[in-house]
Amino acid sequence: MTKKNDGDILKRNGPSVHSSNPCFSRREFLFMGGIIFTAATASQCWSSGNSSLIIIEQANGLVVGDPSKCVGCRRCELACSEFNDGKASPVISRIKISRNLNPWISNPGVKQFGPGTFGNGLVIQDLCKQCPHPVPCANACPHNAIVLAPNTKARVVDSAKCVGCKICQRACPWDMISFDPDTNRATKCFLCNGNPKCVAACPAEALKYVPWCDLTKIERPRISPNTFISPSKASTCIECH
Amino acid sequence: MANYGGWVGKTLRVDLSNGNISIENTLEKYKDYLGGTGIGYKVLWDEVPAGTQPFDPVNRIVFGVGPLAGTGAPCNGRTAITTLWPTCWPKSLVASGHMGGNFAAELKYAGFDAIIIYGKADQPVWLCILDGKAEIRDARNLWGEGIRRTSMEISRQMGPRASVAAIGQAGENLVPMSVVINSHSHSAGGVGSVMGSKNLKAIGVLGTGSIRIAGNKEEWEKAVNYHLSLLGANNQHVVPDSPQKWSEYYGPTRWVASPGRRWGAASSSIDTGSCDPHNLNRIAYRTNNAAFFLGERAWKYTVRGNGCSSCPIRCHTILKVPSVSSKYGIPEIGQNTCVGMLFGRNFFRSFPDGPKGETSIEACMVGMSLADDLGIWDNYGQMQRDFQELYYSGILKEKVGSKEFKSYSWDEYEKGSPNFLFKLLRGIALKRDELTTALGMGTGYHLERWGIPEKDWQERPELSYWKMGHPRHHSSEEAGQTGVIINTQYNRDSQCHSHTNFIRNGLPLHVQKQIAVDIWGSTDAIDAMSAYSPMNVYKAKMAKWSILRKELHDSLSICNWMGPWIASPLKEHNYKGDDSVESLLYSLATGNPKSREELDKDSERIFVLHRALTIRDMQTSDMRTKHDTVPKWIFKDQAGKPPFSSGSSAMDPDDIKLAMDMFYSEMGWDLETGAPRTETYQKLGLQDVADVFDRNGLAVG
Repeated sequence: MTKKNDGDILKRNGPSVHSSNPCFSRREFLFMGGIIFTAATASQCWSSGNSSLIIIEQANGLVVGDPSKCVGCRRCELACSEFNDGKASPVISRIKISRNLNPWISNPGVKQFGPGTFGNGLVIQDLCKQCPHPVPCANACPHNAIVLAPNTKARVVDSAKCVGCKICQRACPWDMISFDPDTNRATKCFLCNGNPKCVAACPAEALKYVPWCDLTKIERPRISPNTFISPSKASTCIECH
Repeated sequence: MANYGGWVGKTLRVDLSNGNISIENTLEKYKDYLGGTGIGYKVLWDEVPAGTQPFDPVNRIVFGVGPLAGTGAPCNGRTAITTLWPTCWPKSLVASGHMGGNFAAELKYAGFDAIIIYGKADQPVWLCILDGKAEIRDARNLWGEGIRRTSMEISRQMGPRASVAAIGQAGENLVPMSVVINSHSHSAGGVGSVMGSKNLKAIGVLGTGSIRIAGNKEEWEKAVNYHLSLLGANNQHVVPDSPQKWSEYYGPTRWVASPGRRWGAASSSIDTGSCDPHNLNRIAYRTNNAAFFLGERAWKYTVRGNGCSSCPIRCHTILKVPSVSSKYGIPEIGQNTCVGMLFGRNFFRSFPDGPKGETSIEACMVGMSLADDLGIWDNYGQMQRDFQELYYSGILKEKVGSKEFKSYSWDEYEKGSPNFLFKLLRGIALKRDELTTALGMGTGYHLERWGIPEKDWQERPELSYWKMGHPRHHSSEEAGQTGVIINTQYNRDSQCHSHTNFIRNGLPLHVQKQIAVDIWGSTDAIDAMSAYSPMNVYKAKMAKWSILRKELHDSLSICNWMGPWIASPLKEHNYKGDDSVESLLYSLATGNPKSREELDKDSERIFVLHRALTIRDMQTSDMRTKHDTVPKWIFKDQAGKPPFSSGSSAMDPDDIKLAMDMFYSEMGWDLETGAPRTETYQKLGLQDVADVFDRNGLAVG
């Protein structure tokens, strides 16, 4: 991956990123991730068009929600889609409120009277966990289109590589990958390059951008994810495992 | 046709008689009417002949939203529902009801700006609207169910994100005092029975679409944040109700947040704390209408604020009152605002533990639980005022007969027991007996049925009754002649908040007067409440402006209960807001730049079309004496003080005549009849109205 391409990814993912700042370099990948590859493997990973991208680094931060403060106004969803994409579209929003707003019947796994306006009144904000390695969406992508953003280390969709196959959508246990029918591309939380619009838009201080912590072990999955990994990626995994 | 943002471009047309569903281009037909009530009035003018009754299949019920619905423009959650009004007495005329919630936004995401429904299905149906397509579905298994269960069942079929607008048993049984409700507690009064008359139980909407913002996204973000910076609390009250470190003023407002006032029933109690207006991340804490209406006691029961899609001001409050579950067998969670929240409480004259004690809160919980499931409307509290008056005057006992009278536990009622509500409210929804049937008809028809002259009600200030079956809605008691003028213009309670939200925003009079100069041209446009000066032309300008802003908000789908934004909480701006924020948002969202003046002209077209519909359906152009009437009580002050004295809310009859003259003159209408002239219609692009009136003799030169 060249610097030029990195710059393109950044522009596609948001207007405020400095295009001179590379997404990540092979050196960063190798050493910051604390994983030592053989030269041959590394070369194979990065030089060939068929190379397999495995994200090792942690994100710097993530957005977390406090359901007891959420007032269900959906301003976060609108800020996410309008200020990033120029259209009001809860479906492509990378924070998910709408699906949890109404009745308890909406929440899989909740068989009893549960959250929602028709339930106990709580609205649970669904947010990207910026998963640690192995990153389910990135690993599932057959096109290596889910990559690392440079300054935030968020896992982001490179829309030039994404072909809209939606395999990543099925891989995320928390159902946090959106699909934009207008662009035919997947999209996910990219932390707005370090200034999350949802956090800025919340009128109830119910969202916070905090240093990364691992929520994947404590938050119950929303769907049964598809855990299939393509053979080329699996072979890369074998290098370490 | 240009590719506009804001609108999604399609209007859905459903004929329930034959099941035909078609789609038309919103902008080709309705662009000059913006959306919301604008589309509603236009459809009624074009498609519903004079003389139609509300339950006739030919009557239209139009669910209209506007170009800002579903966007991030603040406070855009309202759906305007326009139809022939079933409680408008003695003859049904055009009016609109407005519901908040998530329906308006979801309708846009599903690909529609409006739904026009007519005809009558031969069995109960519901309308399923899913991503640009609509389908009429069997609702026989939902008929007879309450609104909450209906909403659940339809959500189960459509998916959890669906927004369901449903009627309850009241609407099914053609009780005129009935509502349609979406998102648990967001109702539009009066229209439930019109849906019921069409055998239409509910409309479910769900969409994965988007609303394009035509303008540059950075500019849009700036505009949205600018508008947010001007917001106050509910009703655009811009100063807090208690002294705050950051605030120069305080007053009796709905900005109730303060350190120590907590959402006590949140899973971990939350302090509403300091809400400095510059902190846009705490807007949602400013308002708690449960605390505003029910008193300090409500804080401990507050789970959180709730409200419409996109609105940072949460005018609904979710309450959790565990005791009601065991005492009354209703859910411990309830929510609503204003008269919806007070629905149960307001039937009672007193409670054993005082007006703001535990029992009054329990009465609110019981009332909300029943009314918002059965789908009963209370006509801005008029039903409860009528009930109390009829009971305590003895009229009720006399009219219902002794057998029926004895079937109610009046002892329980007088003691203020919420248990009393179960039989009464269920009875209203089922038209079970004389009392409940009469109450469900609405004041005008109820009084007629019981042989009580309307004027008896119009002499009693405590009954707040105005005319045509409906009460005052912010009239002389708050805004002198301006309030009176506004209350003469509609065919139900006027629902206008442009004037009252400014008058009651909490700012001192001298600050308000400086803003009044900018907007209406003189400090004389406003007075202190109940210290009125004689009529002047600036009050007429304010009345016109208020009505046009109401129609603008109702058509763009921004909330006239939250606007206007001509005052702000910003001391550094001398508390001034911006009266062109609507034009800024409209222009950026749609890509169709319009100045404030151009939008004012659009809203004038919309309002004058409402006037034309009223003239056409009343078959008279003499609005002045036949329609724009005022109740006698406005000329009386309860303490007997004369008009124009300090502390008096009394109006003067000659002064009110002058007020109407000045208002008609500002509108360019005929002074004698109060009807728009032919040239007014022409100037506003309503040539077809002028032509019709020319032919049928209703034209005024």
